[in-house]
Amino acid sequence: MCVVWPLARLAAGTFSSPRAFLEVLAAGRYRTSLVNSLALSAGAALVSVALALVPAWVFARERFPGRDLVRTAVSLPLTFSGVLVGFLAIVMLGRIGAVPKLAGLVTGRELFAGSAFTLSGLFLAYLYFEIPRAVMTLEAAFRHFPLELEAAARSLGAGPFARLFHVTLPYAAPALLSTLAVTFSASMGSFGVALVLSRRFTVAPLEIYTELTAFLNDAVAGALCVVLAALTFCVDRLLTRRAA
Amino acid sequence: MSLPVSPRKVARAAGIAVAVSLAACLVAPLVVTAAGAFVDADWYGKRSEGALGTGAAGLFRYVLGIWSNALLTSLRLVGTVVPLALLIGAPAAFAFRRRPFPGSAFVEALAMTPLAIPGIALAVGLLLGAGRAPRFGLLVAGHLAYTLPLVLKTISNALERERADLERAARSLGAGPWQAAAWVTLPRLVPGLVLSALLVFAVSWGEFNVSFLLATPLVQTFPAGLYTTYTTNSFPVAAAATLIFLAPIVPAFLAIQALGGEEFRRGLSS
Repeated sequence: MCVVWPLARLAAGTFSSPRAFLEVLAAGRYRTSLVNSLALSAGAALVSVALALVPAWVFARERFPGRDLVRTAVSLPLTFSGVLVGFLAIVMLGRIGAVPKLAGLVTGRELFAGSAFTLSGLFLAYLYFEIPRAVMTLEAAFRHFPLELEAAARSLGAGPFARLFHVTLPYAAPALLSTLAVTFSASMGSFGVALVLSRRFTVAPLEIYTELTAFLNDAVAGALCVVLAALTFCVDRLLTRRAA
Repeated sequence: MSLPVSPRKVARAAGIAVAVSLAACLVAPLVVTAAGAFVDADWYGKRSEGALGTGAAGLFRYVLGIWSNALLTSLRLVGTVVPLALLIGAPAAFAFRRRPFPGSAFVEALAMTPLAIPGIALAVGLLLGAGRAPRFGLLVAGHLAYTLPLVLKTISNALERERADLERAARSLGAGPWQAAAWVTLPRLVPGLVLSALLVFAVSWGEFNVSFLLATPLVQTFPAGLYTTYTTNSFPVAAAATLIFLAPIVPAFLAIQALGGEEFRRGLSS
């Protein structure tokens, strides 16, 4: 019930006002927000997965003193809601953030002041909440990685590049793709981070919120929701199907 | 001639160094935040809030005072959602796994959809479909929609690991279907139920989208209040509120990790 009623209401609202639907796809403002969301989410997914590769492998395969502590520190941001991540970005990169203050002490110039409110600041905040997801998802996959295969390939005379491209990557590809799917979907729905940080540009969830509360434009907000959900669902399906 | 250190060892050390520096980057903002709450320095804007007492104790008393209503709402919400999610989710998972009925696969897939769609979409649907329903009830409904999939998944996993033949053995020894479920299956599901309760607690305590969109001045959860704090209060107040938010959820998260809960890998919706 809790699920069906809201979803049905969304769908009904969209089909009863196709004009709003067209408006969402045609009007520059809404389309820009959707494109921004897509680009930010794709970028954050790719970069976070790339950055997560080494830590995920280390956590899955290596035992070293303090491993559990480091692993907990990396996964802790999973418990931060979006607004909190936004706040942390301001703490570090706001106009009087810790990084500019520190840079001021070292170089005499307050570098990066206020960069939390720029597009790169938002991207960093997305990375902040995506990296823990990516590390945890990849780690689970790497734990079952068949190392013997690589050793076998080596004993058969395959060089490091041949091993990477013919053995390791094909085996890791499904895990990489499903991790991309997880991180991409999470970024597409991210609302709190942009709510705190966004100044000039907009992302789709923020646009939905503005339409709903500032312009009381239920039809457009609903249509944007449906488009956002459909886009997320399609990309997620595409990636998970390739992974399977 | 052999190298003094093997490449394998160098790679291992480099990998560990990368992991440690990533952890440091992720923790650094938290350290600064904790400093904001506990170090009684002349942080920017602090003087503007006259009600602030001196020292960390005064600060926390002040923050707890201004957000006591939101904290109570959050506690009441969590206290309602956790038992409800378990009471609905656990029997449902049991039915889906052990007593499937026509259409049960469809119902299950439907119940799992909140994991697949953006959080904000569900919140907006709930708001548009709300009409004049009481706000607290709506909050409970929204949180249930988010947390039920976690209970279903956790209990389903536990049931799949569990051997169904134990139940059949009990039946063959003369136990009725409900007797077998209550005396054989249920006790073996306790770890799964504990894990589910922790997951629901963590997600419900931290949930922002539904809470924020449905918030009214009277019914507001603590995460929704956090946003207000971040946009209006000074840095020490915001830092203290952040730490109060994290105080219950971090232990719950550590317990989830210790119990091997994989369901929290997606974390809170951001």
